[in-house]
Amino acid sequence: MLEIRNLRVKLAEEDKLILSGISLEVPKGQVHAIMGPNGSGKSTLAYVLAGREGYEVIGGEVLWNGEDLLAMEPDERAAKGVFLAFQYPMEIPGVATMTFLRTALNAVRRSRGQAELTTPQFMKHVREEALGLAIADEILKRPLNVGFSGGEKKRMEILQMAVLAPTLCVLDETDSGLDIDAVRIVSAGVNKLRSQDRAMLVITHYQRLLNYIVPDKVHVMADGKIRKTGGKELALELEKSGYAEFKSKALESA
Amino acid sequence: MTLASTRTKAEQALSRSFEAVAAELPGGRAIAEARKAAIGTFAALGLPHRRLEQWKWTDLRSALKEALPPAVNERHELSASIIDAALEELAAIDAHRMVFVDGRHAPQFTTQADLGGLEVTPLAEALRPDGSASDALTDQSITGNEAVVALNTAFMTDGALIRLAKGVRLDKPLLLLFARSAREGRLVTLRNRIVLAEGAEATVIEAHLALPGAAAGQTNTLTDVRLGPGARLAHVKCTLAGERASHLATWLATLGQTSVYRAFQLTAGSGLVRNNIFALFKGEGAKLDISGAFLGREVEHIDTTLVVDHAVPGCESRELFKGVLADRAHGVFQGKVIVRPNAQKSDGKQMAQALMLSPDAEFDSKPELEIHADDVVCGHGATAAEIDEDLLFYMRARGIPVAQARALLIESFIGEAIDKVEDERLRVALAQMAKRRLTGLTAAQP
Repeated sequence: MLEIRNLRVKLAEEDKLILSGISLEVPKGQVHAIMGPNGSGKSTLAYVLAGREGYEVIGGEVLWNGEDLLAMEPDERAAKGVFLAFQYPMEIPGVATMTFLRTALNAVRRSRGQAELTTPQFMKHVREEALGLAIADEILKRPLNVGFSGGEKKRMEILQMAVLAPTLCVLDETDSGLDIDAVRIVSAGVNKLRSQDRAMLVITHYQRLLNYIVPDKVHVMADGKIRKTGGKELALELEKSGYAEFKSKALESA
Repeated sequence: MTLASTRTKAEQALSRSFEAVAAELPGGRAIAEARKAAIGTFAALGLPHRRLEQWKWTDLRSALKEALPPAVNERHELSASIIDAALEELAAIDAHRMVFVDGRHAPQFTTQADLGGLEVTPLAEALRPDGSASDALTDQSITGNEAVVALNTAFMTDGALIRLAKGVRLDKPLLLLFARSAREGRLVTLRNRIVLAEGAEATVIEAHLALPGAAAGQTNTLTDVRLGPGARLAHVKCTLAGERASHLATWLATLGQTSVYRAFQLTAGSGLVRNNIFALFKGEGAKLDISGAFLGREVEHIDTTLVVDHAVPGCESRELFKGVLADRAHGVFQGKVIVRPNAQKSDGKQMAQALMLSPDAEFDSKPELEIHADDVVCGHGATAAEIDEDLLFYMRARGIPVAQARALLIESFIGEAIDKVEDERLRVALAQMAKRRLTGLTAAQP
């Protein structure tokens, strides 16, 4: 279970509070969506969970399976099963996608006390997953994300997720910049990973993605706080009414 | 004349050394005269210093505190296994080999290239009065590099003279190994020439290495490359000269019509290196691709200075140099592309990038375009940056430990230059050799 308790985060370099007391619980086996207007702190939450530098936690705690996530280095978190699908995946020139995947998988397996896969085992594993995401073999030979289209980059994030088999999946705006066919492919890839021992946090600005990845709960975030929590129908309401209600609160508190 | 009094200790020692060994240097009368004239030129010029634009970041006059005695006939006891070990991954490349130790051909390690149309002659042999090498002297004048070439002419002891006849394709690479073995510091001076006649094709590797136990020495090496029409040469230089060693290298290349020259230089583990490259397009439609990877640590100094001269129309030049600098290492890249008034449709692109692993490392870069024609496409760029923290985070978020992520990023940075080597086995060998040294580089960083 992921437990976020009254998490308060500011930018390390400035006195700007981004998360002003987030509390949230995502049990294993559930998918929770976080929706909210731009600048509400959604991506900051994703980065803080993954351990990116540049943020300072000034209060609260984050527990993953009872362990203090915030005390861990980013690679330790990955070893503990945390995975962030980036909104803007990085391009790594000179590192073939296959090499990158293998390096990451072996690192994670080592830290989890599992044996490294043999080359044929690894290739088979990756090819099977890639097939489901309509990722061509040729792409796996190219440097990671270099020259990939927006859709290819997002599918590659999901491929990495499938290969690394994390238990806490955080998806940051995975649908942004995707056409409807790509949203379907990516969603199918995510749905395939839904399971009883996996928790997912799906961050999105639009309701559209949640037609395909149907959440157990929807949280609305604004001004660095969870403003409202509901079932999957809350996403549909937001689609109609927009974020105006929450924005006005933001203005009042400003 | 009061010149001598203003000369440094090293400059005076070089002139004195010449007097001492002149009689032992190979060559007949004409060569002896040329040597004498060259040392005279050097005496007038002195070592290049920072007030010369081309040497402003590599001040040889102050860097070379002393001049080592020239190696003339060093004795050595070596075995093939010592040589193979020093060659690292290059040893496994199936190649014709020509081995020079302390500036002299070592025929016992040279494998005879038995191929019609290929002539390989040690320079010392060709310089004999009855030899064929009066044209071993170069008449190419290079602004700013005259003193280095003059020293080379004055002291050259040996080297490889290679000639490939029209249309001949060399069956496997030719590996020229220049090893140092002397236990006392010596000046080694080499002169090579690679001539490819029309349509000939070859891969030539120059490896400059220090054998275990060799003292830090000084090297002055010059390779003169002449490509006939349609000839293709892949030319690799691997400089692992050793700590505190100094290495001055000059490549002179002239490219005939539609010839293709692909060159790569790996430089690491060397105290002070200056790689001069001068390429001249003599025939239209020729292509040049020069790239390099340099790795510096501690107080190492690695300078690449190149001039590409588009003297005729329709030629293409590409340069990509990538360096990794740790500790207080100093990297220099000076790249000048000249496009002469009639050289329309010239296409030149140049890039130099350094990855800085330490705040005390320094990278100086001066790309220069001198364009006298109007219908040309030319561009250049230079960057010096630290490891990208965002990339590092991305990799760590995938579970890759920070040290491994850092090493992979550095390797991939350098890899972009090494990838320009077309021969796969050679590319893999060079990548491994670079990687071994990168491990040393990154281990030292916090």
